[in-house]
Amino acid sequence: MADSLRVIDFGVSSPLRSQTLWHAVAYGVSAGAPVTLSFVRPATPYVCLGYHRDIDEVDTEYCRASEFPVFRRMVGGGPVYLDSNQLFFQICVRVESLPAGRQRAMRTLLEPAVAAFRALGVPAELDASGEICVEGKKICGHGAGQIEDAVIVCGNLIERFDHEQATRVLAVAEATQAVETLALMRRFVGSTPVDPDAFRATMTASYKDALSLDGHHEESALSGLERDALAELDERFTSIAWLEGPRPTSAGKAAFRVRQVKVRAGIWTFAAECDGALVTAGVVDGVLEGVHLSDRGLNGSREKAEHALAGLPLSAAARVLSGFGDPGRRLAALFADLELARL
Amino acid sequence: MAEKALVVIDGFALAVDRRYQAETHMWVLELGAGRVRIGMDVLGIETSGTLAQLSFEPAGTELIADRPFGQLEAAKFVGPLLSPVTGTVVTLNHAVIKNAGLIERDPYGEGWLIEAALAEGSAGLEALIFDPAELRAWFAAKIAGYRLRGVIAE
Repeated sequence: MADSLRVIDFGVSSPLRSQTLWHAVAYGVSAGAPVTLSFVRPATPYVCLGYHRDIDEVDTEYCRASEFPVFRRMVGGGPVYLDSNQLFFQICVRVESLPAGRQRAMRTLLEPAVAAFRALGVPAELDASGEICVEGKKICGHGAGQIEDAVIVCGNLIERFDHEQATRVLAVAEATQAVETLALMRRFVGSTPVDPDAFRATMTASYKDALSLDGHHEESALSGLERDALAELDERFTSIAWLEGPRPTSAGKAAFRVRQVKVRAGIWTFAAECDGALVTAGVVDGVLEGVHLSDRGLNGSREKAEHALAGLPLSAAARVLSGFGDPGRRLAALFADLELARL
Repeated sequence: MAEKALVVIDGFALAVDRRYQAETHMWVLELGAGRVRIGMDVLGIETSGTLAQLSFEPAGTELIADRPFGQLEAAKFVGPLLSPVTGTVVTLNHAVIKNAGLIERDPYGEGWLIEAALAEGSAGLEALIFDPAELRAWFAAKIAGYRLRGVIAE
């Protein structure tokens, strides 16, 4: 007989529990619990940071003032704003049940979600970079991770998206970067106001079908092992050490300063500054948009240089700027260390 | 360090001066006096996707073969880096922590991950593939398998 699918609807939970509940499920699946599909909706807004990301990417002062808690999750991706207009789902399986190769494994676990969106009339596609999109707009944020012997992939149904808050919680370096980030968020992140009950039912059917699980599914709650894990996770996720993350902080880096914000795969804004030279811009599939330059020696050629960069491939920016004398060369150096595609 | 002995098999480079863990694609280069350098081969990198970030347990941490010594993030997927040996972490490569792209650019050289001291009497190295003919056969079989399953491009 095929394995069954365990389905857990955690309903509306506190921001902390909207993270720790499904992390606890991963420990359960690792220890032998069935494949589990879970759902949770945060009661109030908060910010969540990918496992490796720098806390400095979040405007923690603004979050504190707005009473948005900030947590670090154990899966990948960047800092994101979450609220009660987003219904989160998590699919958790044992690692040996997945194909080799992370990208392939990820697609295996995201494709049923795409099928569910389509069954609900949303023409979603899983694009080449692994984003779930409708006509180029991301409609489902996702992240994945291996926790012990379980792999968990998370995503969301975005019923309404607060682009302003999603931008405001990020620690952008310059006002021009904030403006460009908000513009790109509006252009490339969208919502799908699907009925949440229908979404849960369709997702359940889609994952059962795709993972060849049997015809019935268990409506269930956490096991004793998972409740124990939950208590430990509640403590871990609220500790300062965990929030600071596993990587050395960026503090102490030289005069060179870069702030990158990813809107969706292939869509970025950045601000880079060194020795009084500053550039902020958006990058859409490798092409520069909304470029703002500042350098003490640029004087009257600023607008000309900005115009020359607009619509250019990012890779060509340094060469073009080098034609603007010493200030251009200072600005060109800012592009040399950018590796936008990696985050 | 001695020049890397690189061969290319079906389009993928393989350094044949070191040992490999067959499933995880981690390599182990002996540095002498019980010390080893650990990294990831090109197939491990290729099947991970674009490497974004990574983190390691700090120097002094005990390593156990097949247990995590760090985490690697690629395509928003965070997964463990499994140690091919038992011993102790001695040094981390801070250059790859700062820029994970270095692993892709020079996987058998500057893109190493950590250095470790092997545990006294550790027989772990014997379990790794070292014989050049066996290495080539293992690597070619892995490439063929990944291509067959669509994990890497034709």
